[in-house]
Amino acid sequence: MAERREYYQNEDDEVEEDEEDSGGDYKISGRDSLVFLVDASKEMFIKGEDGEPSNFDMTMQCVRSVYTSKIISSDKDLVALVFYGTEQSKNPRNSFKHVYVYHDLDSPGSQCILDIDKLLGEKGAQFAEKTMGSGETSLGDALWCCSNLYSDIKLRLSHKRLMIFTCRDEHHGGDGAKDRQARTKAADLKETGVVIDLMHLTKPGGFDVSLFFCDIVSPPEDESELGLQIEPCRKLEDLQKRVRAKELKKRSQSRLTFSLGEGVNLAVGVYVLARTATKPSAVKLHRDTNEPVRTKTRYFHAHNGGILLPNDMKRAQVYGKKQIVMEKDEVDEIKKFDDPGLVLMGFKPMDRLKLHHHIRPALFIYPEEEQISGSSCMFTALLLNCSEKNLFALCRYIPRRNTPPRFVALVPQREELDQSQTQATPPGFHVIFLPFADDIRTVDAHVGPTASDEQVDKMKEIVHKLRFKYKSDAFENPVLQQHYRNLEALALNMLEPEPIEDLTMPKVQMMDARLGPLAQEFKDLVYPPDYNPEGKPAAKPESGGGAAEKKAKVEMSEEELKNHVAKCTLGKLTVPVLKDACKQFGIRTTGTKKQELIDALTILQNLCLIN
Amino acid sequence: MARAAKSALVLCMDVGFSMSNSEPGQEPSFEQAKKVIQKFVQRQVFAENKDEVGLVLFGTDGTKNGLAEDGQYENITVHRRLMMPDFELLEEIESKLQPGGQQADWLDALVVCMDLLQEETMGKKFERLNIVLLTDLNVQTSADQLDVIIDSLKKARITLQFFLPFPVDGEDRADGGGDGPGPSAAPVRPGKGLSRQQTQGLEMVKNIMTSLEEEDGLEEVYTFSDALQKLSIFKRIDRRPMAWPCHLTIGSSLTIRIVGYKAVTEEKVKKSWAIVEAQSHQRDDVKRETVYCLDDDNETEVQKDDTIQGFRYGSDIVPFSKVDEDQMKYKSDGKCFSVLGFTKQELIRRHQFMGSQVVKVFAARDDEHAAVALSALIRALDSLKMAAIVRYAYDRRSNPQVGAAFPCIKEKYECLLYVQLPFMEDLRQFTFPVLENNKKFKPSESQLSAVDALIDSMMLVEKDEDGESVDVFKVNHIPNPQFQRLFQCLHHRGVNPDDPLPPVEPWLKRDLERPQAVSARCQTPLQDVKTKFPLKVVVKKKEQKTSADVFGSSADEPDAKKVKVDEETEFNLAEIAKGNITSVGSVNPVRDFCTLIRQKTVSFDQACQQLTHRIEQLLGNRSPEYYMKSIACIQAFRDQSVSSGNAELFNSYMQSLKRSVPDRNLQELWDLLIQDALTLISKDEVDGSTFSKQDANQFLAFEQKEEVQAAPVQEDTGDVDDLLDMM
Repeated sequence: MAERREYYQNEDDEVEEDEEDSGGDYKISGRDSLVFLVDASKEMFIKGEDGEPSNFDMTMQCVRSVYTSKIISSDKDLVALVFYGTEQSKNPRNSFKHVYVYHDLDSPGSQCILDIDKLLGEKGAQFAEKTMGSGETSLGDALWCCSNLYSDIKLRLSHKRLMIFTCRDEHHGGDGAKDRQARTKAADLKETGVVIDLMHLTKPGGFDVSLFFCDIVSPPEDESELGLQIEPCRKLEDLQKRVRAKELKKRSQSRLTFSLGEGVNLAVGVYVLARTATKPSAVKLHRDTNEPVRTKTRYFHAHNGGILLPNDMKRAQVYGKKQIVMEKDEVDEIKKFDDPGLVLMGFKPMDRLKLHHHIRPALFIYPEEEQISGSSCMFTALLLNCSEKNLFALCRYIPRRNTPPRFVALVPQREELDQSQTQATPPGFHVIFLPFADDIRTVDAHVGPTASDEQVDKMKEIVHKLRFKYKSDAFENPVLQQHYRNLEALALNMLEPEPIEDLTMPKVQMMDARLGPLAQEFKDLVYPPDYNPEGKPAAKPESGGGAAEKKAKVEMSEEELKNHVAKCTLGKLTVPVLKDACKQFGIRTTGTKKQELIDALTILQNLCLIN
Repeated sequence: MARAAKSALVLCMDVGFSMSNSEPGQEPSFEQAKKVIQKFVQRQVFAENKDEVGLVLFGTDGTKNGLAEDGQYENITVHRRLMMPDFELLEEIESKLQPGGQQADWLDALVVCMDLLQEETMGKKFERLNIVLLTDLNVQTSADQLDVIIDSLKKARITLQFFLPFPVDGEDRADGGGDGPGPSAAPVRPGKGLSRQQTQGLEMVKNIMTSLEEEDGLEEVYTFSDALQKLSIFKRIDRRPMAWPCHLTIGSSLTIRIVGYKAVTEEKVKKSWAIVEAQSHQRDDVKRETVYCLDDDNETEVQKDDTIQGFRYGSDIVPFSKVDEDQMKYKSDGKCFSVLGFTKQELIRRHQFMGSQVVKVFAARDDEHAAVALSALIRALDSLKMAAIVRYAYDRRSNPQVGAAFPCIKEKYECLLYVQLPFMEDLRQFTFPVLENNKKFKPSESQLSAVDALIDSMMLVEKDEDGESVDVFKVNHIPNPQFQRLFQCLHHRGVNPDDPLPPVEPWLKRDLERPQAVSARCQTPLQDVKTKFPLKVVVKKKEQKTSADVFGSSADEPDAKKVKVDEETEFNLAEIAKGNITSVGSVNPVRDFCTLIRQKTVSFDQACQQLTHRIEQLLGNRSPEYYMKSIACIQAFRDQSVSSGNAELFNSYMQSLKRSVPDRNLQELWDLLIQDALTLISKDEVDGSTFSKQDANQFLAFEQKEEVQAAPVQEDTGDVDDLLDMM
């Protein structure tokens, strides 16, 4: 976190700042929580046609995927799994019948995954039947029980969500009192800030939301959202998508003013839609107890040993042989150009946004009506106009206090829905970072002969054969996946981790099969018969020549050394050669600087002469 | 690794008396030339390349050069031989470079410079030898040696640059050779005002330059003012990209030899700040120590060797040693650039570019077969509007990426542009409420047309006379202001160690503003937008949040919990009966503290000391989760102090806490204290207090740093540890 970093500032503070930059939403706002409330009635266990999994099985797979993704992406979030309509009961005070709390609200760990695995598939259904069974249903009791789960949590919860998974649009068989109780309890929950979602599953004859559930679930975020009309989920994929869309609370990285000039300001929230997921950093543990240990860093005076407080230290850099000293505050002040915010410079046609002007992953902005009312309207007008005219807005962007400015392109994106009426792209502007002059390097282009039409056409055939539809979420990060599989294996005492499928590897066999003779035909067109593209590039003298030279020089004779010393030509030798020579003559060198090595050798030689 | 090519350069400046003359209202040529030299050396110092610079002055009162003999080459001083420029040189220029009272032949000075260059570069390798002459040419020169001089310049491959107070031929020619942005607005002085010597000198300059470099020669003649403008920009950080040789593979049998270069990447300041001791300014006086400790009450220290590493797996922490990790981790099989398939360019969204760089991929150098093969791929992709999706791994140790290689065909060359694309784990699918079909936010026709007009007035791409569109705000031509500002401040501090930092340079500020023409044009449309769109800052009904709102026990949680919390904070009779509380523990410090005070098992001072110790521990965690607990402690501390009528301990603790806020980054905590109005105990509450009610109220305000220092009492550098000792 930022505050701790203050103490490590002498390292590469730039890099760390970046982490913070992309890390973003770690504000002190408490933890997110999610309760899965799953119907365990007989209907849920009916298998679909053609051996499709039952609704219950589908739900469990979905829950499992949320659990694992929580473990990876937000391990502080709390998750609970509660069944209702069960025969058996299990809840904290056992005050509710037919409600089975499978997992209490807690951050999910390895054991939870194992528990859920028990409920998967055919065996899972049997296991569920044995442990919980199906019985009477009272959604009211179930909701009440859930509200107790929330209230038993000592931690501050920032976002509370409850998802009901069921395939029954009517729960209490016409028992009005039970219906009423469920409504009241749902209302109570909603009043305490819990958002209730319905993940309704297929039911023969169609799921009628208006029968009962329309009064249970939370109203959609805005009135135009067609929340309840959506079709029930038929496929696991749909269900997962829908759950995932709801499960993550979107949180802005920061809220900023977007100034068009002359006091025309709107408020926007800045969001991170894509950010490189990295392996979490390791935690230090005490060897004996596996207890986590904290690190404390302090500075002390080298001579008197006194602890140095921040005020006792200054910052320095050396340039032109001079040390230049500044206060910590001054170092910060240098980075300050203006207050945080977005300032509009003007507009440019989209074709002025160069593909290769890329230095960082993009951000996303969306209006913040709660900060400045009217922002949304103004924002929408800008969005519509820019996208109509195919323009982007150029802005100066200062994300935080004491941060130097960057220029960004705001690229408009209008909302798009996919076939299932779920939002595929949200409305707003993407924030694309633009490079300064310093960020563009001078590359000496290699100029060579170009291909003939025939050669190009052959390549076109190859390209054609290997076409596919790119989707941004098609590739998993094999490094992360492997890491978590390893952890999983260790945590769950597995013999070895589950193998991962590395999607980043080319499917060579399939590609070869698709290409058939094309690859050879292309090679015949562009390469002469004796050409081997896989051979080491000829122009690599450093590796080949360097190694040979090294070998030759290792055996530097005493005579040679004498000569070098006499003629003062030791300086012409390279550091590795000198080092080898030192080793050869048994001189222990402390330094690695060239001059130190030369000095050592010279001294040795002079000693020899005396002897 | 190829060593960066370095150049040797001699600055040769005329300090003769004519240089000090100036027309009224004009800066003397001497001052202008001095500034040019200063700015130049400054740039060199901060660019930190290996270039060596010498300084020769002519027109000096004294004579000091290797050629001076028998009255020849008089009044020419080699001020500094070839060396890497440093602050010493900057300081010398600042303080010691004074106008001389003599005149010297600039051709003689040129010969001295040539001699210096040749002598000093003997046996060293320089890519470029250059002499920069700054003079007003206002001196009699003997042209008889001119041909010999030109010849030896050519032979030694020394290049020349002239900096003059006036343009070389009436019209402004200086805009050709510069590397910096910005229009050249050199005041053009008419050639008529020149003296006879100057006209003659100018002819000679032209003669030399054209015979050295043919037509382009005159582009190396600059005016002082033009040079100053260009030099005021610190050199951009120029790095030679490293070549990355690899093979592009399609399937198992098709391979093309390629080389990649990092073409665009965010450049960072090369140097970081070192920590030095405030008095001695010595780096070695500061020692850093990191200790490991258990998260228990005593913060038991643990040796580093006794720690192992583990990873969080949800709520579990899995011990996972480095050795095991290395053995089990994903292993990539070395560098690669393997095509996974081809896809339509439009399916790759610009905003999903990941990573921090763009790599340009060429065919291996001097391999024409590879060039043809790659060209076929580039052209095929270009005509099909497709891109290759590739697996990219820099080397064996680095993580593999999936990215896109786009075709790029320029007039002079062809290449692939590689950009990293996201992994599934990198993406966050957020859903946002509808905007354009939302009745509440839908802009009216008149609003839309107002924005339309605004956009038209703010276009940064304009058509010039020839109908070509010109970009008037090219970000990729602007130097990174962060570096410019940093170097400006470093230079200023280096030369004037005791001065405050200078303000941002005006040109730099201007670079970051909307172009003036655009600003002027958009005035009216902006006013129109302002009237048509009601934008109002929302004043929050509940502006002030208390800490209870921020953390836990908020209103939206069931009362059941609140009761429980209260139970806990109230001291518990049963606990007292047990009489087992002897010190303030970390689990429930508030309860322990209250109990101790009531039981009077330890003195009030001791109880307070124990409590503040716990508070410090809580704050030391720097985890905001602990703020709530800390605040509860402070609240209890205050309450108990008021009821015991002892304000001193609390007040002094609060003062020291306040002093440590900036350094410990506790602003958030302090804000919460403000919201809870947890201020000093005033006289009104406890007689012994030295603070009036007003003092106490003002205490929490934390606007200016000065205020903190102005805070009364205890002038020493108040630290919590001191305080603990004191108690």
